[in-house]
Amino acid sequence: MSLILFWIFAGLMLLFGLGVVLMRNPVSSAMCLVVSFVGLASLFFTLDAFFIGIIQILVYAGAVMVLFLFIIMLLDLKAAPARKLNVMAWTGSGLVLVGFVALMMQVVLGNPALHAAMPALTADYDDVQQIGLALFTNFNFPFQIVGVLLLVATVGVVVLSRKELK
Amino acid sequence: MNPLVLEVLVVSLGIALLMVEAFSPKPDKRLLAWIGMAGLATVFVLTFFVGTVPPGSPTAAFYTADSFAIFFKRFALVSTILVLAMSIDYLPVVARFVPSEREGGGLGEFLALPVLTCAGLMWMASAADFISIFVSLELVTISFYVLVAYMRRSNAGLEAGTKYLILGALSTGFVVYGITWIFGMTGQTNLRAISEVVTGGYPAANIPALLFGVGLVIIALGFKVAAFPFQFWVPDVYQGAPTPITAFLSVGSKAAGFVVLLRVLEPFSAVPAIWEKLSAVLAVVAGATLIYGNLAAIPQQNLKRLLSYSSVGHAGYLLMAVASIGAVLPGREAWPAIGFYLAAYLLMTFLAFFVLAVAGGDEISHFNGLARRAPWLAAALLVSMISLAGIPFTAGFLGKLLLFDVALSAGNYVLVGIGVLTVACGFYFYLRVVGAMYWQPVPDGAAPIRVSVTAKVAMALLAVLIFVLGVFPQPVLSLLD
Repeated sequence: MSLILFWIFAGLMLLFGLGVVLMRNPVSSAMCLVVSFVGLASLFFTLDAFFIGIIQILVYAGAVMVLFLFIIMLLDLKAAPARKLNVMAWTGSGLVLVGFVALMMQVVLGNPALHAAMPALTADYDDVQQIGLALFTNFNFPFQIVGVLLLVATVGVVVLSRKELK
Repeated sequence: MNPLVLEVLVVSLGIALLMVEAFSPKPDKRLLAWIGMAGLATVFVLTFFVGTVPPGSPTAAFYTADSFAIFFKRFALVSTILVLAMSIDYLPVVARFVPSEREGGGLGEFLALPVLTCAGLMWMASAADFISIFVSLELVTISFYVLVAYMRRSNAGLEAGTKYLILGALSTGFVVYGITWIFGMTGQTNLRAISEVVTGGYPAANIPALLFGVGLVIIALGFKVAAFPFQFWVPDVYQGAPTPITAFLSVGSKAAGFVVLLRVLEPFSAVPAIWEKLSAVLAVVAGATLIYGNLAAIPQQNLKRLLSYSSVGHAGYLLMAVASIGAVLPGREAWPAIGFYLAAYLLMTFLAFFVLAVAGGDEISHFNGLARRAPWLAAALLVSMISLAGIPFTAGFLGKLLLFDVALSAGNYVLVGIGVLTVACGFYFYLRVVGAMYWQPVPDGAAPIRVSVTAKVAMALLAVLIFVLGVFPQPVLSLLD
């Protein structure tokens, strides 16, 4: 059952992920991204990672995407003009993609350890508590570095979006 | 003293600079650079008094303070001090290309962000776990996205920023995906724990999947150190970014990339079944990087672009030594040679970029007759170029000698052959710049060049150090033991 669900949601995710790149209208791209995020959240649910799945929907599909749509609306972005097909670029990236997927398939299919079933989680597993505990005890050091990263990103956004006054 | 104090001080300094910028009404921002340089110099002195992280604390799993880490913390501090010194002369150029409501607006962050980047570089030097490698790498990369695109009114700057953002995001994807594969195949993110897993009877059936993960991480680090075929972004980004940031990118980012590369490869170099494949891949990448970097530099007419291809070429020499780690040179035996070369690379690259930042132009023709217009500036560029080319009695020569020695003792004769040929190529294009300075006539209407005292002192120090390290390398080598 969960295998079928995996294929459905993974397929949805990839399909709409392609849509994000290929759509010419920014609003359609953003909506495709929402569906792709929901597919990802569903994959987390099938792995029993309910907290991460919910956060994925709340933060990414909810808050981040609303922000994206607001920005697209405020900037009044129009659909990007269709570009001429760049044969060299498509062939080159196609070859890299095919090579990469072939290599990955060979690795995945050739390794018996990757096909072993994982043991199920115990029923009283509390993922919110586990994540909180890991983040604030063992992984506290990298967590602090992420704080500095967010500071740099905030300063960067302010600097780069400075208004041009004449 | 706990070594973690160093990064805490650097981050506090960065925040203090942002605060001074926010609350000081003075339009002259050079004061910020002075505060930053003094603060970083203090931290540099403190690096000589730190101990080790208390074992057993949760941080000890993520953070190591071995002599190599401390060396590269000093390396990051010195590069950042030099970037700030260079920025003092470069601020008027930045001011022209930054939209601002009042005089001096938007310049303070240009001096505060490198300090925060420096903290990231220092954390990278100490990273002992894939999680801390990833977050510190991202801290450095994200601050470089901002700094590269800083000159928003310049089209070349915007182009550089966009290209760096897209390729940087791509390489982030590769590194995360590679880490998940390594985590999946070993059950660990800590490098020491991974080393225990792979050396203690690791099942042979799992090796292809593990190699796939390590390969993805190598691709991502290839972007950071500008190795072939992940070097497309280098020329445009180096040319479009503000000159001090180009120097920072070329030295700081590359050195941190190599530190992480060495640390990531260390657990795997002890397992012959894994390492024979990885070292073959690294040798091919090193050879291709050497050939590409040095041949593509030949037709360049722009000194910044020439230095960007030269930066690719130098990554090739360093990768040659990385590929030579193995049975003959196990563990960390090749590390001092790589550390010394990076130190020499810091001196000569910063010297070249100092001249570029004050000369006010980056076409090679702009430097025609520089020897008659500004003899000392020309002499500084001459020293930098002969060291980059690798003429004896310079740090660049000794560094290359150490790297070739490493490759020879590992029996990588083909790579050494390619290396020697590309050094010959290097002579041609580096000395072409020297030729322009000394044997071309001064162009008509050339504006006089004004050099600030800071830049003069920095350039003189760098030039002297190039010769001192060229004949007396022991002080640096002893720091790396």
